[in-house]
Amino acid sequence: MTVVPAGPAWTDRRDRDLVLGLAPALVVLALLTVTPGVYLVLTSLTPLNLAVPGSEWDFSQPLGNYAGMFEDPRFVHSVGVQAQLSIASVVLQLLIGLGVALLLHPNTPIRQLARSWMLVPMVLPPIVVGITWLALFTVDISPIHRFLAWMGLPMPPLLTNPSTALWAIVFAGTWQHFPFTMLMALAALQMVPESPIEAARIDGANRWQIFRHVRLPFIAPTLAVAGLFVLIDSVKAFPLIFIMTDGGPGEVTEVTNFYVYRQAFTFSLWGYGSAIAVLMMAGVFALSWVIDRITTPNDGRWS
Amino acid sequence: MTTRRRHRFPHWRGDVATAALLLAVLFPFFYLIQLSFRPKEDIFAGGLLFTPTLEHYGALWHGNFPFSFVNSVVTAASATALALLFGVPAAYALSRASFRGSRRIGLWILVTRMAPPIAFTIPLFITFRFLGLHDTRTGLVIVYLTFSLALVIWMMKPFFDAVPRELEEAAAIDGCGTWTTFLTITLPLTAPGLAATAVICFIQSWNDFFFALILTRTQASTAPVAIVGFIQYAGWEWGRMAAAGTLVMMPVVVFSVLVRKYLVRGLAAGSVKG
Repeated sequence: MTVVPAGPAWTDRRDRDLVLGLAPALVVLALLTVTPGVYLVLTSLTPLNLAVPGSEWDFSQPLGNYAGMFEDPRFVHSVGVQAQLSIASVVLQLLIGLGVALLLHPNTPIRQLARSWMLVPMVLPPIVVGITWLALFTVDISPIHRFLAWMGLPMPPLLTNPSTALWAIVFAGTWQHFPFTMLMALAALQMVPESPIEAARIDGANRWQIFRHVRLPFIAPTLAVAGLFVLIDSVKAFPLIFIMTDGGPGEVTEVTNFYVYRQAFTFSLWGYGSAIAVLMMAGVFALSWVIDRITTPNDGRWS
Repeated sequence: MTTRRRHRFPHWRGDVATAALLLAVLFPFFYLIQLSFRPKEDIFAGGLLFTPTLEHYGALWHGNFPFSFVNSVVTAASATALALLFGVPAAYALSRASFRGSRRIGLWILVTRMAPPIAFTIPLFITFRFLGLHDTRTGLVIVYLTFSLALVIWMMKPFFDAVPRELEEAAAIDGCGTWTTFLTITLPLTAPGLAATAVICFIQSWNDFFFALILTRTQASTAPVAIVGFIQYAGWEWGRMAAAGTLVMMPVVVFSVLVRKYLVRGLAAGSVKG
């Protein structure tokens, strides 16, 4: 059989073949994401509680969960904790990631080596990051506490103190995730053309001025995308909090994600938990849409 | 030009700062490893020198940890294999397709990567209890597909985009069908990308804690969940925790050094925390 390529018949046949390749993945993806998503929205409209029979399809007060949310002080509190964690994570990770990227940007052997090894915290299993920092924040065995005590500056336990627990978690999280913003910043710095830098140098600009007026405007869009990624990831914060503080002391480190987990898996309030999860999904979707908008014109620039 | 710049800003100061920073960043990592070799009676003493011991690893070997470790290997490997099986043809189709809607599918895949795991967990937990999939490896593999399938498509599409279509057209003139061309021409050219994708996919499932915590109990519990068991024990099994942590992170560290060039693309897709 001879096939004549490039004709419309060939293109049609090819497109049909390609659809056959795409379809199984889309079916699986739809089953695994759209179905649970729809189910989540449905349960959020019911007072579902596995201990109460018949609550599953009780749609008598569809918006009850949503209305109750804002009168639930523990939920409102969790949003406040979430906001603190998210803002601190975005600011710290952007600043530290950019700072380290600027340090590692020049090509010297040791800096090339550092570019690979700095990635270690980012790929570690979150549970391992959690137990490591739990040990480092435990006064009995932590070399950090021991060293500070030896210096005459003993540090009180951070994780059991309500005013420091969240910041200890932010610190461990920043250690874990700064390599991501660092990588994005490094990739962007490498794309900055040499000629405007050289021109600025000839005009007598100092290093700060070159950074501020030449490099920063070039890499700002990438940093914005990196910041959005950090923001989205901070909404999913869970393992570090679970291991290091379990939401405590009291509820000071209980972010919204952790609160939903509690509502659903500790208190069995599935309907209410689903409603909060729906709102979280909506927020994450909106942020993803913004990322898509920013990155589409020159696709692949930051990946 | 470069020589003049070097002249202006001597780089040894930056090199010293880099070395110091690298040591500081890696300190917690090495701290955990040394803790796993510290004799029990020495853990609270904290001197720099100690006689390394394998007692914590031995204790793990005789407990339930190997069982959980095997669960981790089996579920992460199965999820990766299935994600590649479904995801690679889909990525190729999206790369070559001229039909409408492929951009929208791309956005859907991005959103899947971003969605908070808790949103999937609530409906899946209820469904799994109904279907008898709770606390089974099969159930966990299905859950891991929610993010690994999207990851494979996201990562493989640019590799296929980079293969020139002229090569495929030549094969098509010889009478090869779309998928024969794909298997004989395109896929071998993207082999390094495929390997990197497989590794990153494996790491993402391997690192999962959140899904395994909620959707397993005893039969299918994975290594990360087993570590939590040591925390809840009375008396803080620090040595055992550190040994288990070291075992869980070692494959990840080795793998990621192998594929570090591709890590950014995989992780830019919004790594699943949990």
